Amino acid sequence: MKVIASYNLKGGVGKTTAAVNLAYLASARGRRTLIWDLDPQGAATYLFRVKPKVKGGSTKLVGGARPVGAALKGTDFAGLDLLPADFTYRNMDLDLARSQHKTGKAARALARLLRELADDYDVVFLDTPPSLSLVSENVLHAADLVLVPIIPTVLALRTFDQLAEFVDTFDHDRPRLHAFFSMTDRRKALHREIIAELPRQRAGISPTTIPALAVIEQMAVRRAPLPCYAPKSAATRAFEALWSEIAELLPA
Amino acid sequence: MPKESRPPSLHWQGEPTRGEVAAVLAALEPVAARGYELSAGPRRVRTVTYLDTVDWRLRGKGLVASHERASGPGTLTIDGDGVSGTTRLAEPPQWPARAEQLPDGEARDGMAPAMWVRAVGPVLRSRTVTREVAVLDDEGKTVARLDWAEATGTDPVTTTPLVRVSLLPLLGYGRDAKRVRKALRTAEGFADADGDLYDGLLTAAGIKPDEAAAPAITRGMPADVAVATALHGFARVIAVNVNGVLDDIDTEFLHDLRVAVRRTRSLLKLAGDMLPPPLVARYAPGFKWLGDVTTPTRDLDVYLLEFDALAAMLVAGEPDDLAPFGELLQSEREKARRTLARALRSQRFTRLIEGWQAALTEIIERERSEEELSAESLAGQRVRRMVKKVVRRARSITPESPAEAVHDLRKRCKELRYLLEVVKPVCDQAAHRAVIKDLKKVQDILGAFQDGEVQSHSLRDYAERLQAGSTRPPAATLLAMGELSARFVEMQLRARHDLTEALDRFLGPATHERIEALLP
Repeated sequence: MKVIASYNLKGGVGKTTAAVNLAYLASARGRRTLIWDLDPQGAATYLFRVKPKVKGGSTKLVGGARPVGAALKGTDFAGLDLLPADFTYRNMDLDLARSQHKTGKAARALARLLRELADDYDVVFLDTPPSLSLVSENVLHAADLVLVPIIPTVLALRTFDQLAEFVDTFDHDRPRLHAFFSMTDRRKALHREIIAELPRQRAGISPTTIPALAVIEQMAVRRAPLPCYAPKSAATRAFEALWSEIAELLPA
Repeated sequence: MPKESRPPSLHWQGEPTRGEVAAVLAALEPVAARGYELSAGPRRVRTVTYLDTVDWRLRGKGLVASHERASGPGTLTIDGDGVSGTTRLAEPPQWPARAEQLPDGEARDGMAPAMWVRAVGPVLRSRTVTREVAVLDDEGKTVARLDWAEATGTDPVTTTPLVRVSLLPLLGYGRDAKRVRKALRTAEGFADADGDLYDGLLTAAGIKPDEAAAPAITRGMPADVAVATALHGFARVIAVNVNGVLDDIDTEFLHDLRVAVRRTRSLLKLAGDMLPPPLVARYAPGFKWLGDVTTPTRDLDVYLLEFDALAAMLVAGEPDDLAPFGELLQSEREKARRTLARALRSQRFTRLIEGWQAALTEIIERERSEEELSAESLAGQRVRRMVKKVVRRARSITPESPAEAVHDLRKRCKELRYLLEVVKPVCDQAAHRAVIKDLKKVQDILGAFQDGEVQSHSLRDYAERLQAGSTRPPAATLLAMGELSARFVEMQLRARHDLTEALDRFLGPATHERIEALLP
């Protein structure tokens, strides 16, 4: 089982959009896929039309009082399940810290929970809230690959560098970072310049870009992954290219 | 994904809908009445060919194999106890097919162990119309799916449409699935389905896989009628296997035919005096001829079936060294099979089987009187006599006995086994099982002894024929055959060593007690 986190310190950069569409594409290409919506706002959960409720909330889930499997929901798509968001996830930091008393490894509690699902899924996507917290530290330890959507601006690149420096401090279980440009606008000179130059200058930056298109914004209206209602759009093709790259990075 | 159990299925007793959306949604109205929205998927029509071996091996293991086709070559699917898999076909399949003739993939992997060396072929064909209906909650989220399937048997007989509605629950929505099921079960027109669609189609087509192969003998049956009944059953087995042998579907058709011939000959020998002597005199030589004419092909079948295992046994040689030997076996088999096919298509064979069956039917249907020897008495008398014969021969076997004496014991044991199988219906069943188990242990060792000797001799014979052929075989081939021959001699010696101990056990008081408990 491979764990892929969609993560960035910044909000509104396309983390959920990427996690939902890539999870859909992974399942459509035959991988048994789970997406865990760790963001208490529950955007991914909303997109899959699932109620944002986990019985027992974050405390019982993180504390191990309820098995992870009991909280899973089948989506409308074959081979794709969801572990929904719950508003109590806003306190997940505290629950993870409490789990330290039991195991002494608060930063690896999520990885431990995911191990329960190792036989059931080939890929798990983690859709994360925008922060640098104990939850995100857990996510970074659990992930094999961290997908980092970045808007092509100088400041956004700075946050990517900060993340890379943070991951470098890990003793082991260091995930691979894979950034891609999100919400790109070809009409902006700075976007064009950064997209052209950066993948050549820096490792770990994908040449694939996800354009800022109205069809992507439609996801919230349609409440469905993009390839379901716009299979031929440029945005779908971009996500397909991105999934192909990821699949090569993480062979089954 | 977490595993789900087989979906519950309901039988729709109303009018068939041909999958028309309005009719399907009208039938499922009780679900909508519980506050769910129904969203019908596309109507799909496909031909489903259900497959099994002639002796229902897949069904015996709880498996259903099917070839489904809408357009293109279709898919091959296996589903059942702990096994499931689908393989997309690149070209239309040919039936019947043995495991090695099926396309690579999950379906073959799931079917092959149950098929063993047998071929699968069509059991029945149906035209199936399906429509999946999603059950949505107030968020428009699918919480369960209903699979509406209408199947009409088209071959070998046309049946009336059979409608099954399967509820496919969705992970995490068990409560909704229960509500949907309850809504349908309590609605008019639905009932819990007895078995799956395949079961329903088999019943509708009048195909009974579990039906006994032949009528068995009973205790009170007159002895001659019982003997004729058993022989008639064997004749039926011979007749039903002929086409499979002629078409070379799989090697078991010939094996089953030969076993029936051997059983016929044994029973004629052991209880043929119950039948009119002219009848036995007329037909017995025909069954000897039939046994003889089938032997070469069967011997070669056995060799070829075991060829890969034999090649894997080589220590000094390489499996590929045996390739010229394998080619010789294949060409010999082709020749032997042509001879066999001529014999089975001959008037002699037709007259033998048809005349024999007709004569036996006359005996079975004859008028009966009260003062006749019963099957039960005959069974006791003949089994005791045969046991005595086997015991006498077994006692005379010593480590120094010649191979012929061991072969003779093997033949007598086989006759006893066949006799026990015939009289099984009039015996105590538990004791019968125990006696067969005892006998089988001895037979296995005797079989290993016989195989060791026959195989080592025949290898020598094949090696000479290879040498005498137009292209002389490589030295490596002859060396590899020599190595195999040594293995067979070793196997024979081991069997000879094990035989003494096995016979001691068989001749002990426990076997005698069990045989007495077995008989009426």
